[in-house]
Amino acid sequence: MSKPVSDAKLMRRVLRRESHSSRAALSTVAAVTVTVIAVYFLLESALRALGQPPWLADPLTAAQRVADLPEGIEPGLLAALGALLALLGLVFFFTAVLPGKRSRHVIADDRIAVVADDEVIASALARCARLAAGVTREQVLVVLSRRAVTVNIRPTSGVPVDESAVHAAVQEEAGRMALEPRPQVRINVAAVGVVGV
Amino acid sequence: MNGTPRALNRLLLGLLGLIFLGAGALLIALASIPVVGRWWQDWAKPATEQLSSLAAGTILPGRSNSWIWIVVSLVLVALIIAMVAWIANQGKGRSNILADEYGDADDDGAAGRVVISGAVAEQALKTALAERTDLLAATVSTYEVRGRPALRVHVFPRQGVSPHKVAAEVSTLVRALDLVAGRQLPVLLSIGSGTRTRFTRVDRVE
Repeated sequence: MSKPVSDAKLMRRVLRRESHSSRAALSTVAAVTVTVIAVYFLLESALRALGQPPWLADPLTAAQRVADLPEGIEPGLLAALGALLALLGLVFFFTAVLPGKRSRHVIADDRIAVVADDEVIASALARCARLAAGVTREQVLVVLSRRAVTVNIRPTSGVPVDESAVHAAVQEEAGRMALEPRPQVRINVAAVGVVGV
Repeated sequence: MNGTPRALNRLLLGLLGLIFLGAGALLIALASIPVVGRWWQDWAKPATEQLSSLAAGTILPGRSNSWIWIVVSLVLVALIIAMVAWIANQGKGRSNILADEYGDADDDGAAGRVVISGAVAEQALKTALAERTDLLAATVSTYEVRGRPALRVHVFPRQGVSPHKVAAEVSTLVRALDLVAGRQLPVLLSIGSGTRTRFTRVDRVE
């Protein structure tokens, strides 16, 4: 078997693709939209080619009406149609142009390529923070972005939370995950405690 | 992992976006600015007349219709085919062959051809992962990436399970599979969360 690309190169490519959106869903929506419009135009132009009466509007009559435009239609309706079309165009355009990074991190491993959803990483870090702080699940909220982990803890009233211990525990767990990009850990302990969670 | 044409998706989406945006902006301008309306009519009226005379001038001898409609229909058919092809290219790249090669002198010299189905790796990994209680679900599928077979393992761990531990264990399983299959395949492990992970109980027993 020939080897066109090396394994390492192949996996780097796969990981880059996994951490960016493929835009497949919106592409399908766009393709279906264009297909529906094209099928209608095809129907009208085929009817015209066969010399049959038009279904909704003869192509030339339709072109004439478009050329007359601000006349023959309610301005409000025209503006609404335009706004709808422009909105759809904006969504398509920005989806195409923006980088489309997915909320995922790469986990280093020497045999396989690993990507993990941020939600999974956050819930693992939340569990770690909860055990270090000695609070319940509901008192910990972890927000993970590409380069930052924010752990929000609401301590139980009267039981102080050792912020540096929690920081060390979360830092260690995040370090063990060997995330790429590596996020910075921040701990927020709320000033107000909660009772009876 | 799949062969979705990403550059094409971005190009076509951007192009369609600009067209829709332009058309929408024109309609809004026509509805709200009278000057634009006059300018549009000045430009579009002669254009429509040209179109009408073109249609009238291209009538086939012995028929009552212009051949221009046949051309327009064919162009539209081509456009529809292109759009269907675009949709069909999304998410392609699944395969079911892990290895396919002929015996040669470098190997044991035996003649013949060996084909290993993707189901071998899929079933082996799936069974190994199904025993784990910290994973709610696991799927394994074979893909063809750049003409080479590759495996994608998708696991859904329970909430709070450390992803690096899952990664290390899958890595061990893959190394075992390497020995069984006699070759190293590129493997992607994707650790995800879904609605099922969100609504099931956290496993507190370890």
